[in-house]
Amino acid sequence: MTIATLSRRTLLQAGGTLLASTALPTFAIAQGAGNRLIVAADSEPKNLNPAIVASNGVFFSASKVVEPLAEASFDGKDGLAPRLATSWEGSADGKSVTFKLREGVKWHDGKPFTSADVAYSALNIWKPLQNLGRLVFANLEAVDTPDATTAVFKFSKPTPLQLIRNALPVVSSVVPKHLYEGTDIATNPANVKLVGTGPFKLTEYKPGEYYRLTRNADYWGKGEPKLDEIIFRVLPDRAGAGAALEAEEIQLAAFSAVPLTDLARISKVPGIKVISKGYEALTYQLVVEINHRRKELADVKVRQAIAHAIDKKFVVDTIFLGYAAASTGPVPKNAPEFYDASVPTYAFDTAKANALLDEAGYKKGANGTRFSLKLRPAPYFNETKQFGDYLRQALAAVGIDAQLINADSAAHQKAVYTDHDFDLAIGPPVFRGDPAISTTILVRSGIPAGVPFSNQGGYENKELDGIIAKAAETVDTAARTELYKQFQKIVATDLPLINVAEWGFITVARDTVQNVSNNPRWAVSNWSDTALKS
Amino acid sequence: MNRAIRLIRRRAISSIPVLLIVIVLTFLLLESASGDAVDAYLLSIGGGDATVAQSLRQAYGLDQSMLARLWLYFSSLVTFDLGWSVAFGRPVLDLIFERLPNTLLLMGSATALSFGFGSALGILAGAKPESIRDRVLSTGSLILYAIPSFWLGLVLSIVFAVQLRWLPTSGIETIASGKAGFARALDIAKHLVLPVGALALIYMALFLRVMRSGMAEAWALDFVLFARSKGLSRSRIVLRHVARNALLPLVTMLGLQSAAMLGGSVVIESIFAIPGFGRLAQEAVSGRDAPLLMGIIVVSAVLVICVNLLVDLVYAALDPRVGASEPNT
Amino acid sequence: MRLLRDLVRTPEGAIGLGILAALMLVALFAPVLSPGDPLRITGRALLPPFTDPAFPLGTDRLGRDVLAGILHGTHTSLAVGLAAALAAIAIGLCVGLTAGFAGGLVDEGLMRVVDAFQIVPSFLLALAFVSVIGASVPVVVLAIALGAWADPARLTRAQVLSIRERDYVASARVIGMHPAEIAFREILPNALPPVLALSAIIVAAAILTEAALSFLGLGDPNVVTWGSMIAEGRNILRSSPSLSIFPGIALVVTVVGVYLFSEGLTKALSSRRLEP
Repeated sequence: MTIATLSRRTLLQAGGTLLASTALPTFAIAQGAGNRLIVAADSEPKNLNPAIVASNGVFFSASKVVEPLAEASFDGKDGLAPRLATSWEGSADGKSVTFKLREGVKWHDGKPFTSADVAYSALNIWKPLQNLGRLVFANLEAVDTPDATTAVFKFSKPTPLQLIRNALPVVSSVVPKHLYEGTDIATNPANVKLVGTGPFKLTEYKPGEYYRLTRNADYWGKGEPKLDEIIFRVLPDRAGAGAALEAEEIQLAAFSAVPLTDLARISKVPGIKVISKGYEALTYQLVVEINHRRKELADVKVRQAIAHAIDKKFVVDTIFLGYAAASTGPVPKNAPEFYDASVPTYAFDTAKANALLDEAGYKKGANGTRFSLKLRPAPYFNETKQFGDYLRQALAAVGIDAQLINADSAAHQKAVYTDHDFDLAIGPPVFRGDPAISTTILVRSGIPAGVPFSNQGGYENKELDGIIAKAAETVDTAARTELYKQFQKIVATDLPLINVAEWGFITVARDTVQNVSNNPRWAVSNWSDTALKS
Repeated sequence: MNRAIRLIRRRAISSIPVLLIVIVLTFLLLESASGDAVDAYLLSIGGGDATVAQSLRQAYGLDQSMLARLWLYFSSLVTFDLGWSVAFGRPVLDLIFERLPNTLLLMGSATALSFGFGSALGILAGAKPESIRDRVLSTGSLILYAIPSFWLGLVLSIVFAVQLRWLPTSGIETIASGKAGFARALDIAKHLVLPVGALALIYMALFLRVMRSGMAEAWALDFVLFARSKGLSRSRIVLRHVARNALLPLVTMLGLQSAAMLGGSVVIESIFAIPGFGRLAQEAVSGRDAPLLMGIIVVSAVLVICVNLLVDLVYAALDPRVGASEPNT
Repeated sequence: MRLLRDLVRTPEGAIGLGILAALMLVALFAPVLSPGDPLRITGRALLPPFTDPAFPLGTDRLGRDVLAGILHGTHTSLAVGLAAALAAIAIGLCVGLTAGFAGGLVDEGLMRVVDAFQIVPSFLLALAFVSVIGASVPVVVLAIALGAWADPARLTRAQVLSIRERDYVASARVIGMHPAEIAFREILPNALPPVLALSAIIVAAAILTEAALSFLGLGDPNVVTWGSMIAEGRNILRSSPSLSIFPGIALVVTVVGVYLFSEGLTKALSSRRLEP
């Protein structure tokens, strides 16, 4: 009977393992039905790799799959919370930064995550290919990997740790070396079928309909993620998100997918909450870009007159319905580390604007008009278009005839940033935690035509260029911050562009969604602690 | 039957130059656009510098001359290769076959419903021209036909999806539901009620009007007068003679409207977030994706040609004059 | 003038003409009824209708007068509709006349182009055209005309073919009139009436197409249009439905007016044809 007993025991054992292996999935499925978060997404990025494309549209879904070295945080040291790196330290000469990496992290395909992945991503993707990494890591020479959990970034010129720190959440998404090495990075299939270390795996993409992200059971965070599934449902029509939320077809709409004008009403619907927190590190700025090649606009008096003609209070209260703040200069109030309030300001004063224009020598003609301008509002947001409508009227009040040009994104892009076929343009640049990442490029000279979201208005100011160049290499945090305060003063005085308002977005969610907006980049963070209360 | 085959062959041959013209004109239109696929792509990734733009243009072949690109397109078209979508990074044919069924479903059901109800109501109205019933139906259909489809779609969605919650607000089916078979078909049908309704109501009004006016005219025709003098019952005359005669212009109208309906679905697809052809076209235009837009236009042109061919075949079968000359068909 | 009398005698024609005449007056006198730029920001934002006598229909998102928008929008809608129809008819007549009169290869070639424009969904064409060239009133007009000229071209050609063999054309040829002169002096006046009846339909379609384009954000931002008013009101459809209802009603009334007019016209024409 030994054989029989033996076989019985093996059978039992086998049954045990069988039970154990089936128990988990069954549990997951049972939970899955009630533990799925459905989110509105308004676009389907063609390239989902956040290491190459550091933009909010990509981060929105990809940040749950591919993680950065550190994430922004309300209360963490340096305003950061560790992710794939656990600590970072700069050398005194500013030429190296040492990252200690998290241990025991695995890629979604089961391979271990090591410093080699970080080195590969930094040298082969962030520096040469990424839209923002190109600037931040311009002087990165090498990444040493003395062991599997240490990465030492070596720079050829001093690179301020302050900049690196501020940029980390945006520029440091790490992708697996073993999938990219030796391939054409730009066309690698992993750019769409993402493989990362994050709390969720990208398991399904149905173009035009949804992205399905499922729980990564091997995630390094204890007890995380809390959700079993996140579905990003494609709702290209912005008016659709509010209705879908009310009908409980989705549970969350971020990035103001519910139009501002609908917030007052929807906030009164039982079971729905409106949250304006969670975008502090993603401040968008409403900016009037100016083509200084136009002789009228090359005169600072005319630029000041335009600044005086704009009623920022109207813009904030009526266009943004209070969900914005009036700007004073190129750095938003949300960046207290750099923000300087003591800059020249331009109160709304039509009489003064008229006087300045008279002074500049542009008298009103017989028809009440001084000169005509071509005004191109960027088509990306409702608010930029509405501000275009407003600005046309505000300029008419001081005798400037502005003709609006309605173009779609590609045409706008080409006209403003390549062909310079504009007099005034309205743009929504993003302040990304440090002026050097995407702000100084708006006023610096010497940028070739064709670079989007950069100074293409032909503005040139040697003093300003000097300060920007110096700040880029100043390692001492206090000295660097001081330089940026000077930068703000010059921009606010000389007005290479006019900063009108700054805004964050609004999240609207069902009450059942927990832990929403608990960091300053929440919408584009990994959502590992987001949960659904049944 | 030979007639049908001859008709099909003649149509196929004559549509080739037409398609060529369509392709060349679309190509020229996109050529004159401000901003190309690379501008659109750079925008979507939040910026890039001039060297990146240059290398991308090289990779997509956008640096070649216009004629060279047009030639390349034609030569691959011969092998039914519609090219590679720049914006989506996938073959155009795949994209089209992914979206086409949704649009066909939307349009097909809208056409069937509007044709069915439109002709039925048109018969009701035309059975007694100038009666109260006729006036009510005519006026109602006139107003309905004057309503912009996007506006009707908005109102329907607010009332039935958001307020009453009888139907889903948008989409083609419940996402990631895992439904299959009959449950899935039912789910899709539920999602289609509102968009199909918005499209069908408007076209129903059109078909009603065409049917009604056709019948009003038919009452004055000799054979109808003859039938009446023979003392045939009124309902028999209405159905057998008047309506049948009035159906012909309606069938013609169906063919003429197929292109318009395909275009009209763009707005409806955008309101109801249906991943169909119209939305794909919008994405192709905004992405300056020349191969994709040309693919869409070529395929929709072929579609319209096919519908018209079908309509002609139906017409031949319906027309009493043709029917009489060809026995046993 | 007789045509007008016949037209007014049909109930459709009378009502349609009445609506259109009223709209024309509104369009003409909009600058008097509501002076200044209708896009001017004049009051508090989102005033509900019928509350403030200064703004009988309330104000929109930015504080623009809705009534002023509706009044001036009449002008845009009618102007775009008429201009597009005129352009479409003009192109259609030229192409149809040329094809019908020249015959042969020219006819064959032109008709294939007509086919091409007829099988491409016209809204798709307009959408692509406006997004690519840029949204302004002339571009929108041209885009709509491009999608609408094929029908009048086909109709004109058919008319020409049926007329060109008639006696008076033949005699004109005999007395040595230049073919182009025959086309314009003898054939065109006779081919015109049915094409004109078609033109009313084109006007209505053009008004609706313009509204749909504006609704998708492809309108001219420097002028007020009903479509763009609906598009803007749509985001607040739930809290301030009046913002999209009023322009919607204006649109429906206009299109109904045009349809009635065209039906009356068709009836008047056919009754005239019946008379010897």
